[in-house]
Amino acid sequence: MNVNDARLTKYNPLSRVLCFDTFDTTTHGWTELLGNYDGSGDLDTVDDHMRDFRPPQLSSCSFFDVGTHGTMSGDYALKLATRPHPGHTATGIRRLTMAGRGLVRIETHFAFKAEATVGHEAPSSVGWDGNRHPSESQFGAFTVATDICADGGVRFHNVIRYQNTDLDGEMTQRWMYPVVPEPTPRDHVEGKFALPYAADFTAPDPADWRTFDEKLELCVNEVPTKINWHYLRWDIDTSTRSNVELQLNDRVMDMRDVPVPPYADRYDTLENLLNFYFSVRTHSGVRNFLFLDSVLISVEW
Amino acid sequence: MVRHDMRSTMTAVLERNTVVREDFATEPYELPWASEARFFVQALEADGVLEFHTEISPDGLHWCPLEDTAHHIDSPGLITWPVTGFGQWLRVRCSVAPGAAAKLRIYLVGKG
Repeated sequence: MNVNDARLTKYNPLSRVLCFDTFDTTTHGWTELLGNYDGSGDLDTVDDHMRDFRPPQLSSCSFFDVGTHGTMSGDYALKLATRPHPGHTATGIRRLTMAGRGLVRIETHFAFKAEATVGHEAPSSVGWDGNRHPSESQFGAFTVATDICADGGVRFHNVIRYQNTDLDGEMTQRWMYPVVPEPTPRDHVEGKFALPYAADFTAPDPADWRTFDEKLELCVNEVPTKINWHYLRWDIDTSTRSNVELQLNDRVMDMRDVPVPPYADRYDTLENLLNFYFSVRTHSGVRNFLFLDSVLISVEW
Repeated sequence: MVRHDMRSTMTAVLERNTVVREDFATEPYELPWASEARFFVQALEADGVLEFHTEISPDGLHWCPLEDTAHHIDSPGLITWPVTGFGQWLRVRCSVAPGAAAKLRIYLVGKG
């Protein structure tokens, strides 16, 4: 076997591969998300909470203490990096459409970290004891989600979030999902809400999130500059607008009972929309990073 | 691994209609793959003098100037300068003169 085959054999795709994104060659269509704006290109009309999701970067995963770490299977990872501002979110979005309906699978190998603090100490609910490290509690959450619309404008989002800490910085380590659809720019134009900078764009009210499955500890590996690649597989079904299953390393979680709330109103211009995004959100004001070694999206249609 | 002969290029919008009234630096941006880069600073509005310097970093945490050259803008418009011989992190530092203000877009283009 050619060693480069490992790039694919570490995945388990469905029958039709739509995208296999390895970040040694460009960002492969993963781009910054931006809110909508008016017909004159006036970016001041973008919602405050959707105007600064930061551009993805191609990273060699280099750090102050060991230099270049590298990725799971290559030179470069796709890196999402927040600002050092509490609540700030960075996103990478991939925009597709659907040539059918059925099972859709997104797989990735990812790593997550808070930025190292050097020469000073940032607030943390975890102390350093030679094993655990304060940076462990300076990472907020990462999210994988969709934006799907079809069948005459019915729009919905399948969303999963790993919340590492709550907004107070206390360790939670839970999977979560929102019970409301994401506020849209049209909602804002219609006067239904106005959200401030760094609001949670997926679902702004913490009361609209629920946990599922058990507490799950991921591999932090003790300091902010040792990155370990985690496998994630998430299956959804666009024919039933439902969640199916989530796998994180050796934990397989049934998501069939996790609801997917549709928007009450219909949406134009989005027929057969199939978007995916990854996002990372800091709760601490320390920059948070999500590194993607590669991403594979496959379907059964 | 398939290597493409065609060069890669990538544009990042580091600031987007950002109103500035005091000194700032853009967020750290990694371009480990790029052999050359270029900053574009577009002042949508400008009142007073702003001075820009390219800064580089070995780790994204600690920064130094790449060169002595300063780039100025004091009215609406677009300025640009090339960047070569950098480590993999880049940012632009901006000094805002007392009483000055501007609304900026800042682009970073990498090519390699």
